Amino acid sequence: MTRDEVSQQVKKITARELNLNADNIKESDQFAVELGADSLKSIELVAAFEEEFNLSVNEEEALKVQSIGGAIDFFTKLLNK
Amino acid sequence: MSSLSLSSSQIQQLASQGCTAADWENISVHPSTDLSRIRNVNFTGNVAIGANNGATDVDGVELPCGMYNATIANCIIGNNVRIANIGSAISNYHIGDDVLIEDVASLTAGTDASFGNGVELDVVNEGGGRGTLLFNNLSAQTAYLQALLRHDEQFTKNLFSLIKKKIVAAKTTNGIVESRSRIAHCGSIHNVNVMSHASIHGALFLENGTVLSCNEHPTEIGEGVHAKSFVLAEGARVDGGAMLDKVYVGQGAKIGKQYSAENSLFFANCEGFHGEAVSLFAGPYTVTHHKSTLLIAGLFSFYNAGSGSNQSNHMYKLGPVHQGIFERGCKTGSFSYVLLESRVGAFSVVIGKHFTNMNVPNLPFSYIHEEGGESKIIPGMNLFSVGTVRDGEKWPKRDNRKAADKRDLIIFDVFSPYTVEKMRRGRNELLALSESVPKEKTFVNYGGLQLNRLLLRKGAKYYTMAISRYLNDKVCLRLRESLAQSKNWKDAAAKLGSKKLLMQPKSWTDLAGLLAANERVASLVACVRNGDISSYDQVVQALERIQGAYCDDEWEYVCEAFAEEYTIEPSAMTKEHALKAIEAWKNAAVSLHSMILEDSKREFGDFAKIGFGLDQAEENIQRDFDAVRGTIETNSVVQKLTNEGKAIEQRFVEFKKLVEESAE
Repeated sequence: MTRDEVSQQVKKITARELNLNADNIKESDQFAVELGADSLKSIELVAAFEEEFNLSVNEEEALKVQSIGGAIDFFTKLLNK
Repeated sequence: MSSLSLSSSQIQQLASQGCTAADWENISVHPSTDLSRIRNVNFTGNVAIGANNGATDVDGVELPCGMYNATIANCIIGNNVRIANIGSAISNYHIGDDVLIEDVASLTAGTDASFGNGVELDVVNEGGGRGTLLFNNLSAQTAYLQALLRHDEQFTKNLFSLIKKKIVAAKTTNGIVESRSRIAHCGSIHNVNVMSHASIHGALFLENGTVLSCNEHPTEIGEGVHAKSFVLAEGARVDGGAMLDKVYVGQGAKIGKQYSAENSLFFANCEGFHGEAVSLFAGPYTVTHHKSTLLIAGLFSFYNAGSGSNQSNHMYKLGPVHQGIFERGCKTGSFSYVLLESRVGAFSVVIGKHFTNMNVPNLPFSYIHEEGGESKIIPGMNLFSVGTVRDGEKWPKRDNRKAADKRDLIIFDVFSPYTVEKMRRGRNELLALSESVPKEKTFVNYGGLQLNRLLLRKGAKYYTMAISRYLNDKVCLRLRESLAQSKNWKDAAAKLGSKKLLMQPKSWTDLAGLLAANERVASLVACVRNGDISSYDQVVQALERIQGAYCDDEWEYVCEAFAEEYTIEPSAMTKEHALKAIEAWKNAAVSLHSMILEDSKREFGDFAKIGFGLDQAEENIQRDFDAVRGTIETNSVVQKLTNEGKAIEQRFVEFKKLVEESAE
């Protein structure tokens, strides 16, 4: 998948899980600060990404991801390994 | 105590000092008693008075021993006692040496008093049915056996009979104030035994109780306390206007700051401030520090209540009959509410208000939270909370008990056969659900809670990591010990075999702090039921043996669970298997540890800085935060976790080397 495709998916899933409008989500948005994803929501988000991209992530690495842009890079890298 | 009748000149002297007696013949004194130190005392009945030549400290002032301004009825008074300014009387007490009783409204005991012993407390279920006898030798475990095994009528009947025998054997027809205790500035005290070195100061009203105390750990009752039908164990402290009615306070426990409790048990190292307890079975380390917190009709241990924590045991039908079980290590967040009946898994956190009956013992280490009025669970999330790690480390360090005899038997392990087996069950249930629940479904109902379908596999993964870390760690540690004794692989591996001590090594229970193989408890129960155990002391000894067997029993569990998880028994492992086990341990340990470290670092994230550098320039926010909270680099918990991460790697290398160097 290209970075753009991953970006679309990441924003779509984030919007769905956090009840947001995907169009308003920016790459610079921090999950916790701007998007209101607390630690509980973060786990659900990671699980949603895993299902959508059909992969299993390294938990400790995934939890280090702080922003939408970071998530796009993280999954782009994983999907293109 | 040698004592002599009074001579007529001595009677004259006492009379001239304002003393009277119903019959002077019933008053005797120690040969060295200084009669000038007995003034304005009215004697009734038989009174024996000890030597009184010493002095004692009263509120920072050294005052002479002796008796001043008091009525004394039927008492034996030891040496160097100071009794002064008693409102009505001291009656029917045996008072030991070096005791102070000053400015007390009354200290009286009836001849048939039980001093709190034998009072039945309705714990766990306010509606009754789990009545537990209060007595001096109570422990968390014997209270659990009394309250929670009501399915076995004969056992309960026999156990109660053993306890009653113990109570009768200790019964006296007088009150006791043992040596070196101090009672000052108190209201009325009736039928209360006070053991050695205890201190009671400023208590308002005490009735029908025992203050157990010892030199190693004096017990203290402080200002404004109102207590009825109670036993306080060694080192307990009750003060700050606490109100107790039918309550046991265990060793090293603290109750104060206007706490109110009735029909409740607080075992070792519990703390109750500000709030309220009703029909509470507070196992060791149950703490509630804040206002508006009501703990009611529940079994707790290693529990922490946030402010406003509340449960309800009443559905306006058959009365307050509902009960709750919060397995060890739970926390409830501020203004959380749990509808009883409920059973919360060990080491779980409850946040928000829950109007559903939850039953989730097989999902320990979970977060139970509320979202839009729905109760939801995230299984296993607390496994990588830095709070869980801190709790596990702090409990053994905060064991306040100093008395030689530690009544409550405690196994502190966070990861144990009890919690690990529950995780295994939980994991299997989650995996089974993940296979059966269709993808279209967002949530499934699990034990009354909503569980996000996406988290079924996630929770199972967390549990698998924790199970792997525990089992492989235990096997590797045992292997290291074994290889230290023999470098020959086969000999070393053979020592890892199960000793077949248990028929059902996977079945465990938590007896209010004591983790035990179920069959050992069943054996104790059978012995009490059929009369093979014929005294309460034997019950205690049997419980101590269960505690003593923990390590061996845990190994039995490890052998069984390891064999099921990895299809090989530890004793049958080849070097290759062992290397795999070491690798599996390292991977799980590193993953969980990294997640815990990340969790701890959140405490230094942007959220954490809200409210710092108030109305200051941007650069001062970080400076203010650093000055108050420190930095990730300097924080002791983060540093400790970082070092532990390095230690995992080091242990891995050592283990591996040890196995590789062993002879075939």
